[in-house]
Amino acid sequence: MSRPISSSAALPVAYVLLRILIIVNWLGGAAILALLVVLPHEQWIMTSFKLSPSPEAERLVMGLRLMAVLGLAAIPLNHAVLKRLLAIVETVREGDPFVAANASRLQAIAWALLALQILSLVMGAVAKSVSTPAHPLDIDAGFSINGWLAVLLTFLLARVFAEGSLMREDLEGTV
Amino acid sequence: MAIAVKLDDLLHDRRMTLTELADRVGMTLANLSILKTGKARAIRFSTLEAICEALSCQPGDILRFEPEQAERERPAA
Repeated sequence: MSRPISSSAALPVAYVLLRILIIVNWLGGAAILALLVVLPHEQWIMTSFKLSPSPEAERLVMGLRLMAVLGLAAIPLNHAVLKRLLAIVETVREGDPFVAANASRLQAIAWALLALQILSLVMGAVAKSVSTPAHPLDIDAGFSINGWLAVLLTFLLARVFAEGSLMREDLEGTV
Repeated sequence: MAIAVKLDDLLHDRRMTLTELADRVGMTLANLSILKTGKARAIRFSTLEAICEALSCQPGDILRFEPEQAERERPAA
């Protein structure tokens, strides 16, 4: 019997998509770094955001810089998640995903997702503290129930994989 | 492991080779070899039944509990 088309197509698509996302992530990191290092002029930021010089505007610029630094910290975390997901997809393609290595990978992904959620909370708090009615700063950061559920789910999935790989080992040793 | 597989002795007594036994019980020689050398983690009842039938023996003739040296010394320590 042939495999369903969706399952056979999902893996190559996931593989290519993850490879693209890894590159996009690094490009995003390079863009943030460029904003922080190459264009550190306050005047340029003020003009870009149409801000008039004031203590509030300076606070906003500082907040934006801080968020850029936090965004930069997210790049290696994203990379850790994507690289491990790619390795998991590889094991599925090889037909042997229930291995202890994948349990460790999922555990590492869960920790990285947790760190990303904390980072998002800090970014949201920074945005809230520098945002003013005159210069509102509306960014997609802060508490996300879906994000925290994903963290919990990944930790659980890592545990399931660890148990599954042990059961698999037992089964392999059964005659 | 404290469970010892006495397949070698039984085969010797029955003048049977491992290949012959594999043919009779319908197992691969590799799997039977894993069992004989004590490298198996578990044995299915169906496997045990097939071996007992082929060798005309009881499960207890194939498997023995032999406490390991360290385990025997532990209660005295």
